[in-house]
Amino acid sequence: MALHSEILSKESRPAALRSRGAFGGVLERNAAGYVFLLPWLLGFFGLTLGPALASLYLSFTNYDLLQSPDWVGAANYVRILTDDPKFSAAMQVTFTYVILSVPLKLAFALAVAMAFNRGIKGLTLYRAIFYLPSLLGSSVAIAVLWRQLFASDGLINMALWQLFGFEGPSWISNPDYALYTLVMLSIWQFGSPMIIFLAGLRQIPTDMYEAAQMDGAGKARQFFKITLPLLTPVIFFNGVIQTIEAFKAFTPAFIISEGTGGPINSTLFYTLYLYQEAFGFFRMGYASALAWILVIIISLFTAFSFLGARYWVHYDD
Amino acid sequence: MPMVLDRRSVLWGGLSVLSLAAFNTPALAQAARLRMIWWGSQERADRTNKAIAAFKGVKPDITIAGEFAGWSDYWPRLATQVAGRNAPDVIQMDYRYIFEYARRGALAPLDDYIGKALKIDDFGKANVDSGRVDGKLFGVNLGVNSSVVIYDKAAWEKTGAKAPSMGQTWEEFAENAIAFGKKKPKPGYFATADASGLEPSFENYLRQNKKALFAADGQLGYEPADVAAWFKMWQDMRKGGGCVPADVQALDQLNIESNALTTGKAATAFAHSNQFVGYQALNKAKLALTAYPKVSASSPSGHYLKPSMLMSVSATSQNVPNAVDFINFLVANPAGVDLLGVERGVPASTAMRDQLTTKLDEVSKAMVEYIAAITPAVDPLPINPPQGAGELAFVLTRVSQEVAFGRITPEEGGERMVSEATRTLSRK
Repeated sequence: MALHSEILSKESRPAALRSRGAFGGVLERNAAGYVFLLPWLLGFFGLTLGPALASLYLSFTNYDLLQSPDWVGAANYVRILTDDPKFSAAMQVTFTYVILSVPLKLAFALAVAMAFNRGIKGLTLYRAIFYLPSLLGSSVAIAVLWRQLFASDGLINMALWQLFGFEGPSWISNPDYALYTLVMLSIWQFGSPMIIFLAGLRQIPTDMYEAAQMDGAGKARQFFKITLPLLTPVIFFNGVIQTIEAFKAFTPAFIISEGTGGPINSTLFYTLYLYQEAFGFFRMGYASALAWILVIIISLFTAFSFLGARYWVHYDD
Repeated sequence: MPMVLDRRSVLWGGLSVLSLAAFNTPALAQAARLRMIWWGSQERADRTNKAIAAFKGVKPDITIAGEFAGWSDYWPRLATQVAGRNAPDVIQMDYRYIFEYARRGALAPLDDYIGKALKIDDFGKANVDSGRVDGKLFGVNLGVNSSVVIYDKAAWEKTGAKAPSMGQTWEEFAENAIAFGKKKPKPGYFATADASGLEPSFENYLRQNKKALFAADGQLGYEPADVAAWFKMWQDMRKGGGCVPADVQALDQLNIESNALTTGKAATAFAHSNQFVGYQALNKAKLALTAYPKVSASSPSGHYLKPSMLMSVSATSQNVPNAVDFINFLVANPAGVDLLGVERGVPASTAMRDQLTTKLDEVSKAMVEYIAAITPAVDPLPINPPQGAGELAFVLTRVSQEVAFGRITPEEGGERMVSEATRTLSRK
């Protein structure tokens, strides 16, 4: 109430405003805005920026969670880059995951979006149903469910046995397959890119397809010559977002391997390795350095995506 | 202007009310509120919560809020809470981790309470000392236990293979397991879980060979050949169909719930004796327990009596005397001791053990008898583990998986284990 009356009262006293300095005036005018922003600002400085800067400092120390940190210079970074086989293992797992899951997920999302775009009955219902897995997304319950599905006597193997008489391995606990079950989990959560694709498809003018049809272009040709090129900004956007998400994936691997990244480091996601070092083995300083290297990797990846985008992304202008 | 002042005063007024509320609550509270954290199964949680409720009857003004987690989630959670200056008052500790925490100043020394609030005089020197780090008491022994072989006797007998028994050699055990595999009652069911990646089992084997996990100088107490022989023995059982395949063993999350015995994949588990109560609670079949097989009839048993777990108090606790009262209730008051039973191991106090044994059910009695049976042949506790030792259990599990999945040979596994373990220990 006090705020409201203050805003109203401003109009009635321009003299008071003029008497202050220009800066004070700006502050005064925007005060209400900043007050409304306060929850976000508190969150940003207190929960994001502050801890991030603290971890930057800690990455140059030997902080072990329980004792106060000592400065060790760049030793953590040197060790990570020159003398850490687990780091290379984690990089390999993470890059495999990103390179497989992102394109497959986008392709799947696009396929579903195209199917919906044909104007089927009850679209809103279907859209909601297909979006559901993404809402449950990184939840613990889904990872636990996945564990049950792909265990040695899980649903997948039961189905394989009933349908084909094939005795499947324990997918999640076999180093040859464990990572791919996680890739599948990621593809299954195609909801948010699908919604964005659907919106993108709606933007494409239908007269273009009509014109192409009259010129004798088939469905496939229409897709490659009209849909894809006009959708590139949306594909690009989805690609960048999903890549960052994939680099940060943690929960599924944590649940499925019970925090070990096993069997034989086959699900040792970068974030999981970082977590192990920090909270399992009391090496918070080292883990902070790992976190900053991940920040650099994601930044580089995103920067190159934007640099490369000018060669294939068509903006309609 | 008055409007502006109005708003400010409202803001500041609001803030001061908030801060009053925040700072005054502890001062207003009369009763002491303590937090306790432990790891373990649902069975343990039920028993612990009953003990907490019973303590409320003894000391009505102390309220204890309990929380628990599985073994592998427990340590990250505790480390985070301690680092965040938010450590629970009463902390269940493991013999391996107590060194990490005590040496980093996270635990309160309890020496001053011995004989007063903490009546542990009849524990015997060895059982009191098992909670000491560098001479000071940081943990109270909650129960005595040892490694154990837990097996489904009926399942073994049904196949005609000889079940594990005291004094059996590893060679006999492996032969029997393979015989079991040839007559197994159903597909996907095996004589035994694969213990090649379990550090306590490996340690037992090393001690039978008069080696140890760690030598007195804090270096490794074994050589590549020792690990290779251990891996080889399990590989032969695996290939002969005696123990579970690698991908079944990899589902084991080092707890009772996911062990191959509990999940119905194997008839034998390698565990800690106090877990016998938890295993029986989760298994329909009647279980039996016996000592580890030995490398030869004349070798040491490899067993030692260790504190299954310890009770410690956080160094930052505001309620150390109350926390000590509660710990004393758990280890030296029949009301508490009886509720915990032997699920955390056999009570270290002679008086408590004697009064408890008469009240035990069959399962718990079998466990107490087991400890009594192996006691004549046990050797002393191993030396204090060096810093970084906690990580080696994970290394052993991973290398054992590399062997089990056929990525490397047992010999290569031995080399890899020793080189990675040495690397880890040398890291500062």
